[in-house]
Amino acid sequence: MPDPLLTLANVESAYGPVRAIRGVSLSVPPASIVAVLGANGAGKTTILKTISGIIDPQKGSVHFKGEAIHGMDPAGIVRRGLCHVPEGREVFPMLSVLDNLMMGAYTRTDRDGVRRDLEQVFGYFPILKERAKQQAGLLSGGQQQMLAISRAIMGQPELMLLDEPSLGLSPKLTREIFDIVVRINRERGTTLLLVEQNAAIALEVADYGYVLEVGRIVMEDTCERLREKEDIREFYLGMKDAGARGERRWKRKKTWR
Amino acid sequence: MSAVPNPWNIRQLLASTQVLVPGDTVPQVFWNAVAMRGDRVWMREKDLGIWQTWTWRRAAESVREITMGLASLGFEPGECASILANTVVEWVLVDLGVLSAGGVCNGIYPTDSDAQVEYLCTDSGTSVLFVEDEEQLDKALAVRDRLPNLRWIVVFDMDGLRRFSDPMVLSLEALREQGREFDRTHPGDFDRRVASRGHEALAILIYTSGTTGKPKGAMHSHAGLVYSMRHLDRFLPQNESDERMCALPLCHVAERLMGAYASIYSGAVLNFVESPETIPENVREIAPTVFFAVPRVWEKFYSAVTISVQESSKLQQRAYRWAIGVGRQWAGCVLDCRPVGVPLALRFRLARLLVLDNVRKAIGIHRARVLGTGAAPISPDLVRWYLALGVPMLEGWGQTESCVLGTWTRPERIKPGSIGQAVDGAEVKVDPVTSELLIRGPNVFMGYLNQPEKTAETIDAEGWLHTGDVGTMDEEGFFRITDRMKDIIITAGGKNITPSELENQLKFSPYITDAVVIGDRRPYLVALIMIDQDNVEKFAQDHDVPFSNYTSLTRAQAVLDLIEQEVSRVNAQFARVEQIKTFRLIEQRLTAEDEELTPTMKLKRQFVHKKYADLIESMYQRG
Repeated sequence: MPDPLLTLANVESAYGPVRAIRGVSLSVPPASIVAVLGANGAGKTTILKTISGIIDPQKGSVHFKGEAIHGMDPAGIVRRGLCHVPEGREVFPMLSVLDNLMMGAYTRTDRDGVRRDLEQVFGYFPILKERAKQQAGLLSGGQQQMLAISRAIMGQPELMLLDEPSLGLSPKLTREIFDIVVRINRERGTTLLLVEQNAAIALEVADYGYVLEVGRIVMEDTCERLREKEDIREFYLGMKDAGARGERRWKRKKTWR
Repeated sequence: MSAVPNPWNIRQLLASTQVLVPGDTVPQVFWNAVAMRGDRVWMREKDLGIWQTWTWRRAAESVREITMGLASLGFEPGECASILANTVVEWVLVDLGVLSAGGVCNGIYPTDSDAQVEYLCTDSGTSVLFVEDEEQLDKALAVRDRLPNLRWIVVFDMDGLRRFSDPMVLSLEALREQGREFDRTHPGDFDRRVASRGHEALAILIYTSGTTGKPKGAMHSHAGLVYSMRHLDRFLPQNESDERMCALPLCHVAERLMGAYASIYSGAVLNFVESPETIPENVREIAPTVFFAVPRVWEKFYSAVTISVQESSKLQQRAYRWAIGVGRQWAGCVLDCRPVGVPLALRFRLARLLVLDNVRKAIGIHRARVLGTGAAPISPDLVRWYLALGVPMLEGWGQTESCVLGTWTRPERIKPGSIGQAVDGAEVKVDPVTSELLIRGPNVFMGYLNQPEKTAETIDAEGWLHTGDVGTMDEEGFFRITDRMKDIIITAGGKNITPSELENQLKFSPYITDAVVIGDRRPYLVALIMIDQDNVEKFAQDHDVPFSNYTSLTRAQAVLDLIEQEVSRVNAQFARVEQIKTFRLIEQRLTAEDEELTPTMKLKRQFVHKKYADLIESMYQRG
């Protein structure tokens, strides 16, 4: 196995007195897609925020390309090639679509490269080209998500953090966006760390998955194997054995094996 | 001048020998107790987070309705009803209802699988099966086609079943309704029912976990149960002002007899925990005054305290060490029956005031007059620790087949490491040839259901119950258990080793939940160890040991080193040939549903041997 691009070791982060992640260790190999699954409040977003430097961990370390980046300024982390697509898109609503994209390329100086990436982004999401001059706030939710992903691509990251790209999107749109996410990974070689509640699609596109419950990782494996696990099937994919009565309401105890 | 030689208030622990509640059968005792206690509180349970009380009268009404409900279903005296539920109030009510109806009552562990439920229902010939909820109902429905004797399934909690209807299934509510109606139209039936079973009749079945082969149903008569109830009260006296906690499975003889039946007899209040997972919180709420638990529970409390001390400030740590040291000195005097000198008594009082009382509060034993332990071996060091807190911890020994009577420690003379002396009412002796401990008395069971050969192997011609435990007796009449007879290891070198001694020492470590020592006919001893997840996770976190899930935790080098240290610490107390050469950690987190564990969360030795054969083999293949 090649050296991981990103490693987290025993990371603990808190919001004031509330500890959101309680010792998370994970690693992301280069050019892979890694998914972190978990319910509301499991600490998924906190992991991403800790990686991108928005919050500093209380304990533990984050290494990116072999360099410790915890406690570093978020801007410095972006410059090192790590872009974060936040939950809820957070595009700049008053700027035009194009300006939003150019904001993503703010740290870059290679104008040719920027132009090439812009073309590629418009290739992925033609609608953005059509609406390039409009204010980003006027885009639909799905288009804003496309814009947020595209803006991150413009930073030419080696690692992209995606926080719930399916949030609030129709199943069809979710599928489209995930198709592009896979293409970004395959065509550009961008490594992706993906956080999702939609376990079905995340397990389909990712190579490796971690399951997070109340701030701790309870399971990790290749997505192929995760899909076969009983707990994942019942609690994350909603497939369960209906039992003798044909309807079962009680929940098994999770064992995470 | 010196303080009182025996510091615990012995008077509170002394029993009377008179019969508190008359009655020759369990239902008779219960109905007499109801007549005596009427509106007093008998049980408490938490409903939507608020403690609700059951007076004796209210409970009695329900029991009567259940009794007559069973009668209305055509349940005849001598038939068997089984209960498949966690430790809840309904369990006790139904148990008494079944017995009052003249039936035989059997308990099934809620963690048992479909196949086990099927086996137990078949073996016991269950005709009415009580299930706790939807989850347990599904087990019953899955196997009912193979249970020709089964006629009715009664559900305690109908949540999620509103739209479900089945001719065989009814709710406890409906059964009680039917019972009320039946009672009105059949006057006199109830009294006939209660009187239908004689003293010598079979009352309950308790299946022993059966580490090898199928479970065996131990049969207890009313006579044996009533005898045990009366004698229990002599060594663990309690009364209406006592608060007890009901937490262990009621299918197990310990909670059934020492908890539920002891409370029926003595009137102590039974407080039900919400679930097995909430025991630590519930203990603090209930603050039992008489507290019997299995060693696993006592180990858990101890390791929780140890860990929180490690987390506290330097000053607090020093205060704790000083106080527990004073406590140990003081307990030492008590154990040796030496008077406690005034300076030590004063220091101990200070230690209690500053530290030890808080430790007791943190556990929830601050009101406890007495702690009891049994059903499994406990480390003597652990007993000493509780004594150092200033609470008497009494160890006992008994088994399903002896209806829990066996030996018990008297508060005036505690010898950690010993299981105490024979209790009043049962004879105990060491077999001169095999060193097996034998018990005789009216408490001894009637035999195993459907297994006369097994019964003959267990009770000999003179009425001695062969317990399978090997031990010794000293000149004061104190017994010590060396081990289970079949567990004794004889290494390839011919050395006899009692694994439980090593295992108990290992379990004393806060990082080890359970361990199985192996080495029979092998060149050296090895161990399989189950780590304590919470504490080891905490250790890993504090020492920056990266891990993700349970398995990766058990594979982390630092964790292996930690356990290695714990093993060496234990090894240091034993001779060379008795030391554990190497060990492996069990890499899967086990739950009560797993067959490797007993419902009280202990590893089953025989099962572990089979299941982890490869892992064990790997420890002998290092050349």
